[in-house]
Amino acid sequence: MSIEVQHVTKRFGAFTALDDVSLKVETGELVALLGPSGSGKTTLLRIIAGLDFPEPGGGQILYHGQDVTDLPASQRKAGFAFQHYALFRHLTVFENVAFGLRVRPRATRPDERAIRQRVGELLGLVQLGPLAQRLPAQLSGGQRQRVSLARALAVEPRVLLLDEPFGALDAKVRKELRRWLRHLHEEIHLTTLFVTHDQEEALELASRVAILREGRIEQVGSPETIYEHPASPFVYDFLGNVNLFRGRIEQGSVRIGGVRFDAGGVIGSPETAALAFVRPHDIRVTRCGKGQSTLPARVVRFHTVGPVAHLDLERLDDRSCVSVQLSKEELQDLSLQVGEVVQVEFRKVRVFSEDYSI
Amino acid sequence: MNPTPRLSRTEGGSRRRATHDPRWMRALLVGAAFLFLGLFLFVPLASVFAHALAKGIGPYLETFQDPVTLSAIRLTLIAAAVAVPLNTLFGVCAAWAIAKFDFRGKQVLLTLIDLPFSVSPVISGLIYVLLFGAQGWLGPWLAERDLQIIFAIPGILLATLFVTFPFVARELIPLMQAQGRMEEEAAMVLGASGWKTWWRVTLPNIKWGLLYGIILCNARAMGEFGAVSVVSGHIRGQTNTLPLHVEILYNEYNAVAAFAVASLLTLLAVLTLALKSWVEGKQAASLAAASAATSP
Amino acid sequence: MRHLRQRSVLPGFGLTLGYSLLYLGLIVLIPLASTFLKTTTLSWSEFWAAVSSPRVVASYRLSFGASFLAGLVNCLAGLVVAWVLVRYEFWGKRLVDALVDLPFALPTAVAGIALTTLYARTGWIGAWLEPLGISVAFTPLGVFVALTFIGLPFVVRTVQPVLQDLEPELEEAAASLGANRWQTFRRILLPVLRPALLTGFALAFARALGEYGSVVFISGNMPMKTEITPLLIITKLEQYDYAGATALAAVMLVISFALLLAINLLHWWGSRHHAPA
Repeated sequence: MSIEVQHVTKRFGAFTALDDVSLKVETGELVALLGPSGSGKTTLLRIIAGLDFPEPGGGQILYHGQDVTDLPASQRKAGFAFQHYALFRHLTVFENVAFGLRVRPRATRPDERAIRQRVGELLGLVQLGPLAQRLPAQLSGGQRQRVSLARALAVEPRVLLLDEPFGALDAKVRKELRRWLRHLHEEIHLTTLFVTHDQEEALELASRVAILREGRIEQVGSPETIYEHPASPFVYDFLGNVNLFRGRIEQGSVRIGGVRFDAGGVIGSPETAALAFVRPHDIRVTRCGKGQSTLPARVVRFHTVGPVAHLDLERLDDRSCVSVQLSKEELQDLSLQVGEVVQVEFRKVRVFSEDYSI
Repeated sequence: MNPTPRLSRTEGGSRRRATHDPRWMRALLVGAAFLFLGLFLFVPLASVFAHALAKGIGPYLETFQDPVTLSAIRLTLIAAAVAVPLNTLFGVCAAWAIAKFDFRGKQVLLTLIDLPFSVSPVISGLIYVLLFGAQGWLGPWLAERDLQIIFAIPGILLATLFVTFPFVARELIPLMQAQGRMEEEAAMVLGASGWKTWWRVTLPNIKWGLLYGIILCNARAMGEFGAVSVVSGHIRGQTNTLPLHVEILYNEYNAVAAFAVASLLTLLAVLTLALKSWVEGKQAASLAAASAATSP
Repeated sequence: MRHLRQRSVLPGFGLTLGYSLLYLGLIVLIPLASTFLKTTTLSWSEFWAAVSSPRVVASYRLSFGASFLAGLVNCLAGLVVAWVLVRYEFWGKRLVDALVDLPFALPTAVAGIALTTLYARTGWIGAWLEPLGISVAFTPLGVFVALTFIGLPFVVRTVQPVLQDLEPELEEAAASLGANRWQTFRRILLPVLRPALLTGFALAFARALGEYGSVVFISGNMPMKTEITPLLIITKLEQYDYAGATALAAVMLVISFALLLAINLLHWWGSRHHAPA
């Protein structure tokens, strides 16, 4: 079952939550909606589920090519897992999962035996069988999230929508559940869309990532594309783990602090102020610079975590910070001292003219 | 001479947490509270029963064989039977609209719902006299059609409705606002209709608050004096509720009968308090469970 | 309704809001509005005469004075009761806690005759006070006693939750900075409790102003001496002086609404003060 969002606009009072958003999720895909808070990602998910509605005339939602924009949530058959789970606090785990089956009209409602069997299967799937008679208050956060997933799956949804599925969990449980969800997706192949503000989560889990910013989609692509070829300074900035240099674009290359670097393609208008992004692992540090394209910097600090070494430098010209990542062996070979001056070289630079969308 | 300086401990030298008061102060304050509450609450309560039974159980029970008393009991029950369901229905509707939806003018509506609480009971009766009484706006119209509201049962019901108007609503609104609409949304996504969502999700979550509001509403409906007094006309055996009957008996210097009827109302009050504190316990437990369920 | 609110997935907005407004209008708003309309049938001088005759002014003085004093007493007593209930453990605490609401639950007529009988010259308490030259029943003092009874739960119930939510760290910090218990109370606790105390006072005061049932028995209802304003309204009504009763009611309604506004403002003030720092 595919999901199609076509030109959806949504306002809350004067605030535009979604501005002409279009997105297509193919059958069986696992797609992440990634963005900072207030970017409209949850609103988009709620509109897809039928929990919110676009402005009148403000776009359409299609499930498998069929327009469901005016279909109420209760008839869309979308499985939705809420950020704070929204478990029915007065019902046991079993009854929470059974709810969607029990509220069906009499004609399509399974009998008690079928309900028991189905719920039993699902609780097995989420590994909560022994806790069936507990109340939500007696569960841990990770268990609650799994109940909420089982509950969403019980109605045999056509698509699965997850709002910050791991947002309220601690780091370890989050990693476990992430792996479990990927496994689940491989098993049942349900079209799944999840919202997150955690770029690592999105890049690790999703087959495609859509990045939202202020109600617009900034970039859609595979995790590799998003990470390797961010489409805008915002995406670079949001994914983090990047050095930002201010400079000027001159004849297809970029000048940073008096030094010219080969930009390898410039996005935006030529001959203007520029933003250059360099990932910490795309920086080479040497004692004595070879050729023109090096910046001098002073070593401020370095430390090693496992096989990776982090190096903090301070540029000599404008005293801004540069963060570098290299292997432990490389750091040992350099045998640096704090305070020492080194030369910085860029393996790969991505340059945007400053007037380009920020 | 002792060369080592000693830190002097204040207030008796006992080790105390900073939030704990010394024993004498605790005793003093608890004593004061007991004295005040005893004098103002317990003694009046006890005196009602003492005076009711002053001449023994016989005269006490006799009061309840008087047909006038029985008709007062009946009218009081009717008033509560009308006011409680109607105001409960209103309270539920108002709370659903206010707590689950966003709309303009919500704050004004909240204030208007509370209005009857800030109006003197006497005025609560008066407004219906001014509307439906012989001199009122609709008086002539009603007289033409031979309909009587004031000094008749409909007036009593209206006055009771007015004074008990906010009870259920003001209990449910903050409760439902605090619960948000997440669980209802979850139910809708799982395919439940509006009705099923209400019966299976919302109602179980608010049942204690609802019961609490109903208990208070009922107590006031049965006990209201001022407002009902204005519209009743005090016709014995016809438009007399229990509290009005207490007044009549008392003014006739029939102390035993007055206190006997009063003791019935006092029992109602004590029962109300007992139920109320039981429901509060239940509600606290379910709130604790709820906050445990939503916090990670 | 669409322009009034966002479209929502939950049903029933139009029905529930529509019914609520209709019911509110029929039971509360139209009757109240008709009272104000009725006053417009009076000329200004008639209105003024009705609300400023000596007997009426005497009733204002009694109603306001006794309500104010009762409110003050309840502020002090209510603070002590709330403090004791929140901070200390003692025998019968749950019972006391439940009993505090008695004035809410007990029909006012019952309270009225019980208090009158207690404080009458031959009553359980009156018999003790009589030799001391203090008579309570059928004097302004009796009105004060009844109003104190009726307003008792308000301060307790507004102060109690605030006191409950107070972090012990606040007092521990004060103690660690060298403040003694009294200084901590005066400088730390009292300012925090002030909005709740004021709200409780205003609620008790507003309730006392309008109170009728518990007062009519104990006051004796002597014109110029022990006649409260609500009783005067009834008296005028019984004399078929509808205009006079309406004028007095309008004055009291305006005062009630002003108090309601003040209470709402206090609430707002209290919640602002209570916002997490």
